[in-house]
Amino acid sequence: MTATSQAPLEAVDRRGSGGADLLFRLAATGAALTILAMLATLLLVLLIAALPSIKRFGPGFLISSEWRPNSLPVLKLDAQGNAIIDPQTGMSVVDHYRPPAFGAGASLFGTAATSALALVLAVPLSMGSALFLARIAPLWLFAPVSFLIEFLAAIPSIAYGLWGMFVLGPWMGGPARWVRLFWSFFIPAGIESRIGALAIHVPALRWICTTTIGGKTVLVPPTGRDIFVAGIILGIMIIPIITAISRDVLRAVPRAQMEGTIALGATWWQSCREMLFYSRSALFGAILLGLARAAGETMAVLMVMGNTAAVAKSPFMAGTTLSATLAGEFPEAATNDLQRGALMEVALILLVMSLIFNIVARYLVVGKSARTAAAH
Amino acid sequence: MAKPRDKRARLASYLMYGVCIACAAIIVGTLVLIVGYLLVIGLHSLNWSFFVNLPRSDPPGMRNSIEGSIILVFLASIAGIPVGMLAGVYLSEYEVDSLLATPVRFVCDVLAGVPSIVVGILGYELLVVPAGTYSGWAGAMALAFIMIPIVSRTTEEMLRLVPHSYREASIALGATKARTIVNVVVPSATGSLVTGAMLAVARVAGETAPLLFTAVGSDFVVHNPGKPFPSLTLRIYELSNQASPAARAQAWSGILVLIALILLVNLGVRYFTRQRRLN
Repeated sequence: MTATSQAPLEAVDRRGSGGADLLFRLAATGAALTILAMLATLLLVLLIAALPSIKRFGPGFLISSEWRPNSLPVLKLDAQGNAIIDPQTGMSVVDHYRPPAFGAGASLFGTAATSALALVLAVPLSMGSALFLARIAPLWLFAPVSFLIEFLAAIPSIAYGLWGMFVLGPWMGGPARWVRLFWSFFIPAGIESRIGALAIHVPALRWICTTTIGGKTVLVPPTGRDIFVAGIILGIMIIPIITAISRDVLRAVPRAQMEGTIALGATWWQSCREMLFYSRSALFGAILLGLARAAGETMAVLMVMGNTAAVAKSPFMAGTTLSATLAGEFPEAATNDLQRGALMEVALILLVMSLIFNIVARYLVVGKSARTAAAH
Repeated sequence: MAKPRDKRARLASYLMYGVCIACAAIIVGTLVLIVGYLLVIGLHSLNWSFFVNLPRSDPPGMRNSIEGSIILVFLASIAGIPVGMLAGVYLSEYEVDSLLATPVRFVCDVLAGVPSIVVGILGYELLVVPAGTYSGWAGAMALAFIMIPIVSRTTEEMLRLVPHSYREASIALGATKARTIVNVVVPSATGSLVTGAMLAVARVAGETAPLLFTAVGSDFVVHNPGKPFPSLTLRIYELSNQASPAARAQAWSGILVLIALILLVNLGVRYFTRQRRLN
């Protein structure tokens, strides 16, 4: 009796909350669509804002390293190459004006150089540490080291930037310090003054370590803000990310696979190599995620890179990256439409680059490790 | 008797074993040194006036920036967490492998990797240019933009861990889908959902780049998000460009506050996840 009397009530109840049910479903679907709309907006807004620059400079924008927000006067020269002075005004005669021009070449170069340095530093150390965590560390060590690495991945980039600016940069001290550090193994103390000369006589070192100032070849003066410092800071920043993902990837290798190698008589290192080989694509994905972070990093690079729109031949010279150019130049571009367009194109390049890195990394890592989303 | 080849392999193995330990020691050592340095120098420069004074008072402090950061992150959370959680619910509960869910999941991952400076520029184009002024709203929305994909992915992952039998039991009792989600699925994952949200909050609290062209910073106490808005990270960046030792000490103190916040959140997360495992 109770059961039959409750049935209609239940039906009424269900009809009553049917509206709420639909509403909740719509809200959830709307939120999911919002995410799609976010990416579409991002791409569309940047594309539209970059159009003036894309139309004006075309594909050459990617190569050119010119960054001239205002037109620049070019002086009229006489046969000897001296500026002609107007006798009436006493001023140099302007031949013509070079129009404003923009190119992302220097920024792309700086991004590539710093990211490459960061990877060279971070990949071996991260892989070694991931192997340590997956194969060596006992549980009492695994937990705190893992915690530390995850905590460090969460430290904001401005903290690393400040440290790089005030501690690492001044400590690095340009090529002279590194030449000294390296050669002091071979050369007794006391003839340090000759070490600069030594660097100048080894061709590869000379090319990297010297610059021409006023017609004289000298060691690149230390500024504490150069590509080398930026690369090292980025390397330190991406080590926790690559290590954390690689650790999870390595721990996901089936135990039987490893037991098989040991049973076949492999040494510890041989079975580790098998492990690395087994998960190579996911490890590559982990490295790509680190690369994506390094290439998109703004604050740390902005603070230690020196921000000069030029392709530097030496890692001890200042440079700029895509994101540092954006952060450094944007405040000045409010009144200059062409410059703003160029910066928007730089942002678009940065966005597309990070999309490519992340898409490839996602295909490589997802399915083998569930931590990709947490990595950022 | 071992063949020379075996001997070499064994030697290489010992060598690489040592190299792996050395790698871990180097990175743990370096990172501990950096964080230790930041903590020590931060504690050294920290004083009470840092929390109660304004940038232009003497001694200078960051009260307005701390307040500004709290308000910005609060506004961003109000906008970002519900949208992110709903999207996560959609991915986990409504559509697991549909035509819409797969691209949404994909876009979430991709958005989580977008450089934050690009998000700041989007905020500038969409909110600052039309309004004609830098504003806290633009900054908060840029932060929310960063939060949404993170929250959505963690929500999905956490809800997936809820046993399917819970949902079946709820449906069998006559609950609708929405009721099942609100009364059964979400409550049984509350701890981890809060954890995920806290991680997203900690992440955006440390962001600087998206605020550079949106909130822009201010030396005054601002509570109206329609105006240029102060933020802790922006203030630290501003101070890093000043030469005086006092400015530098302030910047270190700011970093200490940020790191302490992130350490607290991470420890909290660890505590919660351990509790869940024990239960």
